Amino acid sequence: MFYRIAGQYKTSYGADYALFPIKQDAWLLALILVFAFVVFPLTASDFMFRALLIPVLIYALAALGLNILTGYAGQLSLGTGAFMGVGAYACYKLITIFPEMNIIGAIVLSGFFSAAAGVAFGLPSLRIKGFYLAIATLAAQFFLLWLFQKWAWLYNYNASGAIQVPNTQLFGVTITGAQAPVLAQYFFVLITVCILTAFAINITRGRIGRTWKAVRDMDIAAELVGINLMKAKLSAFFVSSYIVGIAGALFVFLWRGAAEADLFDIQLSFRVLFIAIIGGLGSILGNYLGALLIVALPVIIGTVPAAVGLPISSAMVEHLNTMIIGALIIGFLILEPHGLARLWALMREKLIIWPFPH
Amino acid sequence: MSYLHSIFVAPFADMADAPDFFLQVVWEGLVSGVLYALIALGFVLIYKSSRIFNFAQGIMVVFAALTLVGLHENGVPALLAVPLTLLVMFVLAVGIERAVLRPLVNQPDIILFMATIGITLFLIGLGETIFGGANKVMITEQLGIPTGSWVVEPFGGFVSVEQKDVTAVVGAVLLVIALLVFLNKSKMGRAIRALGDDHQAALSVGISLSTIWVLVWFISGIIALATGIVWGARAGVSFALEVIALKALPVLMLGGLESVTGAIVGGLAIGILEKVFEIYWGQPLLGGNTEAWFAYMLALLVLLVRPQGLFGEKIIERV
Amino acid sequence: MNARPDHSVLADQEGSARDDLLMDVRNVSLSFGGVKAITDISFDVRQGEIRAIIGPNGAGKTSMLNVINGFYTPQVGTITFRGVERRSMKPHDAVRQGIARTFQNVALFKGMSTLDNIMAGRSVLMKRNIVWQMLWRGPALREEIEHREKVEEIIDFLEIEHIRRTPVGKLPYGLQKRVELGRALAMEPSLLLLDEPMAGMNLEEKEDMSRFILDVNQQRGTTIALIEHDMGVVMDLSDRVVVLDYGKKIADGPPDEVKNSQAVIDAYLGVPH
Ligand SMILES: Nc1ncnc2c1ncn2[C@@H]1O[C@H](COP(=O)(O)OP(=O)(O)OP(=O)(O)O)[C@@H](O)[C@H]1O
Ligand SMILES: [Mg+2]
Repeated sequence: MFYRIAGQYKTSYGADYALFPIKQDAWLLALILVFAFVVFPLTASDFMFRALLIPVLIYALAALGLNILTGYAGQLSLGTGAFMGVGAYACYKLITIFPEMNIIGAIVLSGFFSAAAGVAFGLPSLRIKGFYLAIATLAAQFFLLWLFQKWAWLYNYNASGAIQVPNTQLFGVTITGAQAPVLAQYFFVLITVCILTAFAINITRGRIGRTWKAVRDMDIAAELVGINLMKAKLSAFFVSSYIVGIAGALFVFLWRGAAEADLFDIQLSFRVLFIAIIGGLGSILGNYLGALLIVALPVIIGTVPAAVGLPISSAMVEHLNTMIIGALIIGFLILEPHGLARLWALMREKLIIWPFPH
Repeated sequence: MSYLHSIFVAPFADMADAPDFFLQVVWEGLVSGVLYALIALGFVLIYKSSRIFNFAQGIMVVFAALTLVGLHENGVPALLAVPLTLLVMFVLAVGIERAVLRPLVNQPDIILFMATIGITLFLIGLGETIFGGANKVMITEQLGIPTGSWVVEPFGGFVSVEQKDVTAVVGAVLLVIALLVFLNKSKMGRAIRALGDDHQAALSVGISLSTIWVLVWFISGIIALATGIVWGARAGVSFALEVIALKALPVLMLGGLESVTGAIVGGLAIGILEKVFEIYWGQPLLGGNTEAWFAYMLALLVLLVRPQGLFGEKIIERV
Repeated sequence: MNARPDHSVLADQEGSARDDLLMDVRNVSLSFGGVKAITDISFDVRQGEIRAIIGPNGAGKTSMLNVINGFYTPQVGTITFRGVERRSMKPHDAVRQGIARTFQNVALFKGMSTLDNIMAGRSVLMKRNIVWQMLWRGPALREEIEHREKVEEIIDFLEIEHIRRTPVGKLPYGLQKRVELGRALAMEPSLLLLDEPMAGMNLEEKEDMSRFILDVNQQRGTTIALIEHDMGVVMDLSDRVVVLDYGKKIADGPPDEVKNSQAVIDAYLGVPH
């Protein structure tokens, strides 16, 4: 009914490369964008922006970065949090050293710092494989976190050891800092995330994306069909860490407003990993679904029992939340290892043939 | 020049100047090393028998310790709480086999690994929901573990040795011996070892895969409880231990995922080296707290030279 | 050529002097620790022919292909390909020089579709950098479409249009072998190495595969080196056969001649050496 592919013939391979070979997908996306760009800004409260919309977008972006490395290129990473940290600290240093610098420029550049860190810690992947590689990313996680704590230059020798986001403006509107209107911040994050997502889609469906997936599925065979493993792996580390770094900069500058080193601890790495797993490894859409679930779950656990007359303490909310996420991960792996994204794909297939099965 | 001196000469001069202090440092490192080795050992058992990279091993330590203390807090006498905790660990092993391993059998390694991350989270949440998130104190005295300390006086200096640390080391050694005897002498043990090499061979011994898995996870649970008690006695019981438990990973990488010897040697080596590095290089030169990353960096460097770890078998690739 | 060891049937002593040689393998030996996989083997492959490599299990056939495409480095010996002599090279250099292969145990990218697997075979031929790919415009898109057209030709040729979008992990074994051939063809090789392309297939599938191999050879002019256990297929397809046993060459020549060689008969019947 809603999904009809009949009558949608492709007349060239070029048309087949349209982002959405099926028209209804394009409409659906348009609908979502209308909500994101028009409906939410008109209706959502500040609380909605700060507690739900902005973090979902930022976490989804971080998960997208991780997904490129782990879901597409098959290189497990447990260091996402630290690479987000590199992006955030780089952005902070750029803005404080060059106060004249445009915030967009600072964010775009900060990604290159995390990308460099990612490539440095990705170099061992040329020699070390599988689980053994997890150690390289863990080394990155713990070493970088330690660096954030001990290297006072990074936080401009503040007594608190924390970085405080300064006020910056874009086209005369305050974008970061305590006075920034949440709506402006939301739009800034939304646009950044949209652009990077479009880039990620394009890279993953082209030659480079294929070399990543080939390395993931069978690296020896990839090498034997002429794929340069070094280029494939390092480019995955580069692109992944770039996106993760940007997510880190947004995380601090557009959402938290301040940060200490501990914010980028291994728990953050895991949270992003869970989003990628629950959303679906090797999928782009999944990152958004996963982020929505992980960000919304504690909110739901906090409000629903109270609404039905069973108020629970906030500590309890957190404990239950952890437990449920753990159960969800196991449940997903058993029922649908490809996560929410695959569930959506199955539903979509059903919709295409609905209401006539077969 | 003076910088090079402070890196390459001064630390060794310090060691030579105060050998008693150096011994103290090594002893402290050795005790943490024993604990790392124990966690790694539980892990190796599971990996050998089922190829599962069990991320939850560290959290099982915390969970076991929490259960023990939690039971005691609720009025169960200490010596009864131990068997009860073991029972809980057994139920956990059965539960994990039923709810996680069985449905996921034959899935790719990475999926099983992720599942153990799920188990980790679930156990943290469950533990906190039941026992609360607050720090707890291990019931060391109630379990009859001596808490005094001895002073030894080598080279005319002195080294202070906590009795509970000695208990930990002795206990660990006994546990490892018992485990090795079990693996080498009993029918079950041999089946577990055979499983690592060949599923069919193990099945022909006449023990079902599920039984073996439950058993292996239960043994890991026992090791976890033992580790939890001694570790809890040193550092208190809380989920913050999880970060320390993660150190079993570099230990494993260093030793090779499948080697019992590797787990023990790797654990001791990392425990001692990270302590020595922290005291003689980390604190004077780097601002301290290098124990947070030293083990990982060391393992990484070793892997760059030997990708299969010190004791792992060389991986040969074929097409 | 000076003192080359003579192994029973060597029909082709003057071979290396010919100017239609594509590849010349000289005195190659390869061992793994104590295991001698290949001992002093020499043979050549002529432009445009189908060259079969046969022999009992463990004879060293797969190892030979692995040496040719650079996956293994022999301890002794050289390989001359299109006039360039070398001992070892990186597998991706072999691909660049026009050597493509399929594998005894299918080595496809299981999570990727048929189309993507075959497109992956063209990776070395594609050049556009990451910036163009990110934008998916201009040169990158043109390049993608251009290569896609080539790949679609291969898909048509191998009659696998219907599984274009299926993840190859879900395909039956016979079709996987076909996709793997497609991936190798996508590399536009001048020498195609096929390691038991028909193992585990039923009669009908074998006939299809034989037809594809002949067509590739005749229509595209691709030179083929083929390992196969099915003697009927070998006799039908190949121009010349080299026979290995325990890592040694025991015969080399046209199919009929080789079939009647005493050394070959002994090797297959398992007569002790
Ligand atoms: N990577 C390796 N490490 C150790 N031994 C090897 C390796 N590769 C091959 N061999 C050994 O070399 C010998 C030849 O093997 P190869 O695979 O080349 O035989 P084959 O002729 O292809 O046999 P089959 O018909 O069974 O495929 C065998 O004894 C094999 O065990
Ligand atoms: Mg073979």
